[in-house]
Amino acid sequence: MSFLIAQSVDEVLAAMAAGARPIAGGTDLVVGARHGKAALPEALVAIDRLAELKSISETAHGISIGALVTHHDIESHPLLTTVYAGLADGSALVGSPSTRHLGTLGGNIMNGSPAMDTGAALQVLGAEVELRSSRGSRRVPIAALWARPGQTTAAPDELCVAIHIPKPEGSSGSAYLRLEYRRAMEIAVVGAGASVTLGDDGTVAAVSVALTAVAPVILGLTDLQSVIGLSIADAAAVVQQLAIAQATPISDVRASDRYRRHTVGVMARRAVEAAARRANGEVIATPVNHAIGIGAAS
Amino acid sequence: MRADGPDKVTGSGRYTADLTLTGALTAKFKYADVTHARITKLDVTAARAMPGVFAVLTQADVPDVKFGPFVQDRTLFANDVVRYEGEVIAAVAAVDAATAQRAADAIVVEYDPLPVVNDIEAALSPDSPLVHSDWADYGSSMIRDRNDASFASIAKGDVDAGMAAADHVVRSRYVADGCHAAPIEPRAVVAQWEGNKVTIWTSTQVPFDARAGVCETLELPNNRVRVIVPHLGGGFGGKCGFHYEAHIAALARAAKRPVRLVFSRREEFLAPDRRREGIVYDFETGVKADGTIVARRAWLALDNGAYTADAGFFSQLAAMHALGPYRIPNALVEAHLVYTNHQPSGSVRAPTAPQTCWALESHTNEVAKAVGMDPVAFRKLNAVDTGAEGPSGQTYGEIGIQQCIDAAVAGAGYGQDLPEDEAIGVAIGWWPSFAMPSGAYVKIDGDGSGQIITGAQECGTGAVMTLRQLVADELGMDAENFELVYQDTSVAPYDMGATGSQTLFNNGRAVVAAAGQIAEQLRNLAAEHLEASPADIVLADGVASVAGSPDRGVPIAELAGIAAGGELLIGHGSGTPPGAPPIVGAVCVGDLGMAAWVAPQFSCHAVRVKLDRDTGVARILHVSAAHDSGTIINPVGATGQVEGAVLMGIGQALTEGTTYDADGRQRNAAMLEYKLQTCADAPPIDVHFIQINTPDAGPRGAKGLAEAPNVATAAAISNAIAQIVGTPIRQLPMTAERVWEALTSQHVVNDQVVQQAVSA
Repeated sequence: MSFLIAQSVDEVLAAMAAGARPIAGGTDLVVGARHGKAALPEALVAIDRLAELKSISETAHGISIGALVTHHDIESHPLLTTVYAGLADGSALVGSPSTRHLGTLGGNIMNGSPAMDTGAALQVLGAEVELRSSRGSRRVPIAALWARPGQTTAAPDELCVAIHIPKPEGSSGSAYLRLEYRRAMEIAVVGAGASVTLGDDGTVAAVSVALTAVAPVILGLTDLQSVIGLSIADAAAVVQQLAIAQATPISDVRASDRYRRHTVGVMARRAVEAAARRANGEVIATPVNHAIGIGAAS
Repeated sequence: MRADGPDKVTGSGRYTADLTLTGALTAKFKYADVTHARITKLDVTAARAMPGVFAVLTQADVPDVKFGPFVQDRTLFANDVVRYEGEVIAAVAAVDAATAQRAADAIVVEYDPLPVVNDIEAALSPDSPLVHSDWADYGSSMIRDRNDASFASIAKGDVDAGMAAADHVVRSRYVADGCHAAPIEPRAVVAQWEGNKVTIWTSTQVPFDARAGVCETLELPNNRVRVIVPHLGGGFGGKCGFHYEAHIAALARAAKRPVRLVFSRREEFLAPDRRREGIVYDFETGVKADGTIVARRAWLALDNGAYTADAGFFSQLAAMHALGPYRIPNALVEAHLVYTNHQPSGSVRAPTAPQTCWALESHTNEVAKAVGMDPVAFRKLNAVDTGAEGPSGQTYGEIGIQQCIDAAVAGAGYGQDLPEDEAIGVAIGWWPSFAMPSGAYVKIDGDGSGQIITGAQECGTGAVMTLRQLVADELGMDAENFELVYQDTSVAPYDMGATGSQTLFNNGRAVVAAAGQIAEQLRNLAAEHLEASPADIVLADGVASVAGSPDRGVPIAELAGIAAGGELLIGHGSGTPPGAPPIVGAVCVGDLGMAAWVAPQFSCHAVRVKLDRDTGVARILHVSAAHDSGTIINPVGATGQVEGAVLMGIGQALTEGTTYDADGRQRNAAMLEYKLQTCADAPPIDVHFIQINTPDAGPRGAKGLAEAPNVATAAAISNAIAQIVGTPIRQLPMTAERVWEALTSQHVVNDQVVQQAVSA
C-alpha cells in the first residue's frame, strides 16, 4: 500500500492517473474500511493539505466552494447560511462536530451515497461540479454526477476540485430537511431539498425539489411545471404528492418502503414551505431541521 | 472531587484494552454465524499449522464442565450443537490480529441445520422444536419444561372471584423488543500465567463472579486466579456475569504467552450473554367503578435466548413488575423464561423492569380510562403506601411512593393546557435493594493518609467513589485523605460487584464497619494522649478532641504517626445484611426471593412529549423524575445517575430495539442502526429526591439508585404518546414508524383492547 501526501493539485492528478485514489477527511473511506464495507485502496493520495481547494469565493455569478471546504466551514459561513441556506441546512446535519470538521463537501458528493445530506440541496441550487484530471478540466451538472449508490460518472483519474453554485435570482430561498430518529450521529431516513422563487404576486414562479434516500441516487422531482403560479401552500401540497409518486424507496432496517414514501412527501412539502418562507425574507436558522422541523424542541 | 474523575477526563486512566504485556498475543474467536445447527465437522488443523499461531482451542481442549448460575446448560465452547450466531466455537491466539483472524477463518466447520426457534410464544407450544434437546439432563433448581427454562408465578387471593366482582375488566397485550446495554467500551480481557497462577485483567462489572466462572470452568481454586479490573468504560449490566475470562486464560496457558482479547463493536452486540430480553405480555385487570383495582391476571413470556445466563430469576422479577407497586387483593401472574435461538439475555440495568413497567403502566392508563379517572388520581388511589400491603403480600414500612407521584407531577406542571400535539405522561415504578455479603478494609498510614481496600467495583455510577465520603465522615476526616484500592480479587474481600445497585447499600455497610474499628483505635489513642475517656473523644475536622472542650484536641495525623510505631491503624468490615421481609397470603411458585423486597425503591416519572403527527417522530421536551431511594449521600452523583438513566430510558422508549431476521440473526448490530440517544437529544431533566427513612436501608438510610431511574421513563413516554395518538403503541420501542402506523390505523380507538362492562 502506498500513501502520498500531495503538495499540489498536479501531484494529485499525476498520482490519480497512476491509479491512486484521493483521500481528504477520510470520514467515509476510513469508516467504510473499518466496517468491512470496502477495503482501503492500494494507493492513496492525501489531498487534505492543498490550500487552493479550501476556499469559498463569491463571484459575479454565484459562489465557488473548494472541494476541501468542510461541513463546519459551510455551516458557519455567512453567505452559505443565508443566500444558499439549503446547503448549510444539510452540512449542519452531518454526523457530529468532529465529523463536520473533518468531512469535506467534495468527499461527500464524490462518495455518492443516496443518503448524503448535501446532495439534494446542491441539486436544487443548480450546482455544477468541476472535475480535473491530467487530461484537462470539465464541469458537470451535479445531477449528472451520480451514477448509482457509491458510484459517480467521474473517470477514475478525475479529481473534484470545486463546486459552483449560481446566484439565486429574484425572491429565492432554499431549504433541506431530513427525517431523523435522533439529533446527532444520524443518517437521513429520507430527506428533501427545495429551492423556491416567488413572483411579485407571492405565488410560486420557479421551484426545484430533490429527494434523499428514496432512490439509487439523489432524485430530482419532475413534472414540477404544474405548481408554477400556485400559492405556496398549494404548491407544497402538489410537491408532496409528486414526491410520494416519484420516490422508489427500499425497505431496510431503518424504515419500510411505505413509511419512506409517506415521509419523503412530508419532507418535500416542508422543504418547499421553508424555502418559500426564506424567499419571503424570513430568517430561519440553519439547520432548518432543528429550527422548525423534525427534532425541533418547540 | 470524584476520585476517578481526573484520570478519566485527562486520559491518564488505563482501561483493559490499554494494557500491553511483553510477548502478548492477540486472540480472535471463531463464531457460529448460524443460529441453530449440529456441528458435523470441526477441523482446526490448518489453523494450528499457520505460522504465527500459538494456540487454537475448542471444547475438546478444556475441562468438560457445564456451567450457568441458574441452569447449567452451556460449555465454554460450542459442543456438538450451536444455538445462536455469536456462540464461540474456537479461540485462536496469534502474533497479531491479522494472523489470528486468518487462522480463525481457516477453521473448518460444517453443519447440519436444525429448525430455528425465533418466536417466544411459539417456542412454548408442545410441538415447538427444542433449543436444548437434552434440557432434562441439565443441573438446575428452576422449574423447567422443554423450552421453558424458568417458570414463576405469584398468586394471591382469588383472581376469578376478583374479576367477577369488578365493574370493568380491561385486557391488553403488549410486546417489548430486546435491546442492549451498549457500553461505550467494548469488552477486553488480558490473561497472563506465572507458574500455576493466572492474572486476568478484564472489563467486568463483577470481578468475583468472573473469578468464580474461571475457577469453575478451568477447575482451579479461587486463590490461583486473580481478577483485576482497570478502569471500566461503562457496563449498564452488560458486563455483569462471567464472559470470556476463561477462554483467554485457557489460551494463554496453551500458548505459554500473555493473550489479549479486544472486542469490536459488532462482537459486543452479537456475542455476550447480556442483552435486555424481549417480553410478550397479556394483562387483565378488574376494577371497581370507583377506581379500586380488585384483580390482576398477567401472562408473560420472556426471551431467554439460547442459554440461561443470570436471567434465571427474571421470570419472578418480571412477575413482580407486572403487578407493580399497587394494592391488588387478588392476583395471578405467570411468567415463562423461554429458550430461543437468539443471543442469551442477561442483566441490563434494572432487568425486566423498564419494559414491564412500560407495558403495565400503559395498561394502567387504559384501566383508568375505562373508569373515567385521571391517570394520576388513579395511581394515587391504588398505589401502595407506608403500612399498606403490596401485591405479593409484603407490608411496607415507611416508603415514599405517594410523595414521588406528587413531586414528579408538580415538577412537570401536570394539568396545564398544552398544544394538541403535546402531552404529559406519568408512570410509577419500583425496584428492590439487594442485601448481600460484602467486605472492605480501611487503613491509615503513619502520615495520616488512608486507603480503602474494597472488593467493590466501579462501573461509572460513582458508588465506589462515594465510599470515601462514608469512611471520612466516620473518622472525622476529609474524603480527599483517602485513596481507593479496588477491583482486585486477590487484594480485597468479596463483594458482588457493580450489579443490583448494591454497592453503596452493602459495601457502604462494610466500609463504615471497617472505619468504625479505626475510629475506636483513634479514640483510645486520643484518650490516652488527652487523658480523657475514649467515650468522650469526638473525631471531627481531622482532629480528635474531648467532647465539650474543643481546645483539648490532637490532630488525627499525629495519632496516626503514633500508631505507626505501635498498633497499626487497620480496620476490616462486612456487617450483617438485612434479612428478607416476610410475605403473607401469597403463593410463589419458582420462588427465588424476588417476591419480597428489602428496602424497596420507588419512583414516578412525568414526561412531556411533543409528537410530529405527520411522521410519528416523538420528541421529549421535559422529564420530571422523583425518586425514593432513601437518603442521598452524594447529591451530585445521584442526580447524574438519574439523568443518565432517564436518557437511557428515552432511548429504550423510542429508538433502541434489536430486530431479527427470520433465522434469529440481529439486523442492527451496529451503532448507526442501533440508535442510542445522544446529548443533542437530551431534554431538561428535573430530579426530585424523596428522602424517606425506610427500615433495613443501607448506611444512613441509603437505598440503591443505579437502576431505579431507568424503570419508569419509557412508560411515562408511552402514556404521553397514547394521549396524543388516542391509543397506546403496543410495541417497544415506540419507533416513529410504529407511532405513524398507529396514527394512520383505521381503527384508532382500542383496536386490540377488549373492554367489557360487568354488571355490578
